[in-house]
Amino acid sequence: MNSSAIASEKTGLSQRFDSWILDRVRQRRGIAELPLKFEYRHIYVMPTRFGFWFGLLLALMTLGGLNFNNNMTLMLGFLLAAIAQLTTLLAYRNLVGIRVDAIRARPVFAEEFACFKVQLKNPEERNRFAIQAESSEAVDCADISAQNSQQLSLKQVTLQRGWLKMDPFRIENRYPLGLFRAWSVIIPAAQCLVYPKPALSPPPLPKTGRGEFGAAHRGEGDHFHGLREFQPGDPLRRIAWRTSARHQKLYSRVMESPSEEACELNWYLMGGGETEEKLSILTAWVLRAERMQIPYSLEMPGAALPADLGEEHRDACLEILALHKS
Amino acid sequence: MNDPGRKTILWVIATFALAMFPQFVSMPAPVLLATLLPLAWRIGSEFNNWKPLPALLRHSATAIGLATLFMSYGDLSGRRAAVSLLTVMLALKMIECYRIRDARLVVSFSLFLCATQFLFAQGVLMPFYGGATVILALVTLTQLQRSEAWAHEDEPPVVKASLWSELSFSFRLLALAVPVGLAFFILFPRLASPLWGIPETTLDSKSGLSDSMSPGSIQSLFMDDSPAFRAEFTGPVPSAEHLYWRGPVFWRFDGDTWKGGYYGRNIEASARPEPSEGSWDYTVQLEPNERNWLFALDYPASVPPDTRLTMDFQLLRRQPVIQLMQYGVISNPEFVDTPQLRDALRLQALDLPEDRNPRTRQLVEEWRQETPGDPEFVSRVLRYFNQERFHYSLEAPLLGTHSVDDFLFDTRTGFCEHYASTFAVMMRMAGIPTRIVTGYQGGWYSELGNYVLVRQSDAHAWTEVWFPERGWTRVDPTAAVSPLRVQQGSMSALSMPRHFLDYSWLRGLRNSADVVRQRWNDWVIEYGAHRQAELFAPLGLDHMSPAMLVAVLFFVIAVVSAFLFPIVLRIKGPSHKDPIQQAWQKFLKRLERAGFESLPSDGAIELAEAASLRLPADSASINQIAQIYTRSRYSPDPPPFNDLKQAVHEFRPNKNFA
Repeated sequence: MNSSAIASEKTGLSQRFDSWILDRVRQRRGIAELPLKFEYRHIYVMPTRFGFWFGLLLALMTLGGLNFNNNMTLMLGFLLAAIAQLTTLLAYRNLVGIRVDAIRARPVFAEEFACFKVQLKNPEERNRFAIQAESSEAVDCADISAQNSQQLSLKQVTLQRGWLKMDPFRIENRYPLGLFRAWSVIIPAAQCLVYPKPALSPPPLPKTGRGEFGAAHRGEGDHFHGLREFQPGDPLRRIAWRTSARHQKLYSRVMESPSEEACELNWYLMGGGETEEKLSILTAWVLRAERMQIPYSLEMPGAALPADLGEEHRDACLEILALHKS
Repeated sequence: MNDPGRKTILWVIATFALAMFPQFVSMPAPVLLATLLPLAWRIGSEFNNWKPLPALLRHSATAIGLATLFMSYGDLSGRRAAVSLLTVMLALKMIECYRIRDARLVVSFSLFLCATQFLFAQGVLMPFYGGATVILALVTLTQLQRSEAWAHEDEPPVVKASLWSELSFSFRLLALAVPVGLAFFILFPRLASPLWGIPETTLDSKSGLSDSMSPGSIQSLFMDDSPAFRAEFTGPVPSAEHLYWRGPVFWRFDGDTWKGGYYGRNIEASARPEPSEGSWDYTVQLEPNERNWLFALDYPASVPPDTRLTMDFQLLRRQPVIQLMQYGVISNPEFVDTPQLRDALRLQALDLPEDRNPRTRQLVEEWRQETPGDPEFVSRVLRYFNQERFHYSLEAPLLGTHSVDDFLFDTRTGFCEHYASTFAVMMRMAGIPTRIVTGYQGGWYSELGNYVLVRQSDAHAWTEVWFPERGWTRVDPTAAVSPLRVQQGSMSALSMPRHFLDYSWLRGLRNSADVVRQRWNDWVIEYGAHRQAELFAPLGLDHMSPAMLVAVLFFVIAVVSAFLFPIVLRIKGPSHKDPIQQAWQKFLKRLERAGFESLPSDGAIELAEAASLRLPADSASINQIAQIYTRSRYSPDPPPFNDLKQAVHEFRPNKNFA
């Protein structure tokens, strides 16, 4: 992943041009419906930076040839110009006919990268070279051989849980000489489910029990595990008052006791605190319960799942947490 | 990451090396070294993984390179020096060329370098050099584009294109560009006058006749077979005796060297010949020589533009001829040149150093008493040359202070310049005004091209003597010694070859091959506004304005493109073979041989399942290969490519179980 290198090559002007094109596409075609096959009207061709530079060099060459009345210099300039002209056609042809079949992304946790996989299909009997997918944050490239499919992945930063809409991106190529860029803009409908970010050091898993959260622990011999900063959801009696007084900061005792029992993850039993923090803790609990193979149930406002284990159950729980309306 | 990679860097170097080749051979040795060293370092660093040089070292290398350049050329105003600067800078750029951008810079400037080389030479071989450079540049740019496309990844893709497919792709690209390039070339409006000045020194060395004549100066030209000019006659070609192409005329003699006269160079002809019935009408295609003389037969009745006709009928161009140039001349051989000689000129035409050649002076005085008439005296001297044992030979011995004495009485072996000089001195001693004319004599008539080819080796020197009323009259003493020289050309008069490859059949072949060069000059180098007009004359469009030309140009390009685009759309790119796919295909082929037909729609895993049913004995290895394949293809952490190759290689399905 090296988005900075790509971004740095863009000048302000070309950025403005790109956003202008994007606006046009948004007005004209709106959100792309998949599968989308690139046709004539979808494809733009413009010189790259190197293309402009090359053009300047050719202009100099031609001017010199004209001035010195030197026909061979002129001929070289004209030939190179004709080659450059041909490459516009080749770049266009390298892109036209490619089909965007699907765009998918696996759910990720907030602040991880969402990775959108763009499935491209080359339905024709010729190879496609160096087809690039480029968004404002990422780029990926692949050759697509005749009648073959390829996946290009575009990473995108996730900041918060919920559905993350994929940014508009371009499918482009600078084949064969890098003088011209032929591209098509896609405004995708694709979304990536973003789970809440798991809390880094969540309170221990709440044991099964009714009523107040953490009641199951009362009768057991507590295994003192350590101290950590107080987090919302920590039961009051876990607070290490003496230590807290000394440091003028609230500390909770961490108690751990492995158990075969099921645990109940309940929004309503978590007491006060910020919604997002609570969701974070619940996410972390789901993951931990799954890892420790303790069956867990989830109860949220408007949704509840009975105690269970397994990836499907986990994903279902995480989805509920991700889409929780605060 | 953004590194073009070793292979591509080597291609960049190859492109640059080819582009600079013609420049390279004309650079002084220190500059040559300054160009080669950075390249050698870079090649070495690519193979031995040397670290990039620290900035201080790079800067000092640049400083040393520039210093070498200044020391070798003095200043950088000349065109060769300027191009050398570009060459050295590009070579130095290679030591810090670690990014795709830099590599592209070097490649595009290499193309520019190639264009500058046409300023120095435009021979028939130059297009091949240009074409080869373009093809290499295209291959390099294609590779750079691939490197750029994958610059974001740590590893370049495993696919590889064969050298052949890369070259052939570039070649087809070039070939397909020719029609449009040609349309541009033919129709693009040309400038009537240059936008900025053309520097005077272009050629690496001046060639051809010089502005003075001393024994040996024409002899050196005699070894030079390069074409001096070509002349195409509209009527019949005059016979060889008339083909005296007039060049520099010399009046002053200091005992060793003949030089041009003040009057001759600066006074324009007072009377010009008129074209008449017997005039010759011809066009001369003069090769660049960096001199001012235009050559014409006696006596030019028309004067090319930017040129003046001096009183001794030299055609002097204002600017030296640094490019191939074409001019039309009409010559009237009947003209009487200066029937009345002014005293100042007569004095100059009789002037001799007093203290030289006493023996000759004595002989001339004796003869003059016996033969008082001027024409008779001329005949007597010519007869003397003809009848005594004088030799026409390249191997003329050195002459002393009394050069004419030495030649006339002792060595008696020499070349046209010896005879002309000796004859002129004798005439002047006898009081007959005489001057020396140098130029070319004869030429080789190409039936194929219908033109007369005059080479440097046709250089000649003869004299003109002045008779009252008849004016200046051409007398060629060499013809008296060796009539063959004048009738059949300079080569036929020699008894031995000039060098070991000097055979007459080879010369004939070279003469015939010159037609290619002549046509090339005529149609490509000399193509301009004039030819453009000629091209459109049959259509009734005599004078095309630049705007109209451009309009026609776009029309032609549209038509050409309409035919071309379907071909372009079918052109294949360099075939980037995917080794994983290749191994998989091999696997499928082996399965097929064992009796299992795969369906193209099957994915690898389905295929493996189906094949295992068919070939149960091999199901383990089949599944293993399918798994490696799938992982190589789709896994984010693919196994090394050799795993698949190895597995497929060892896969030997057993037919008997089928």
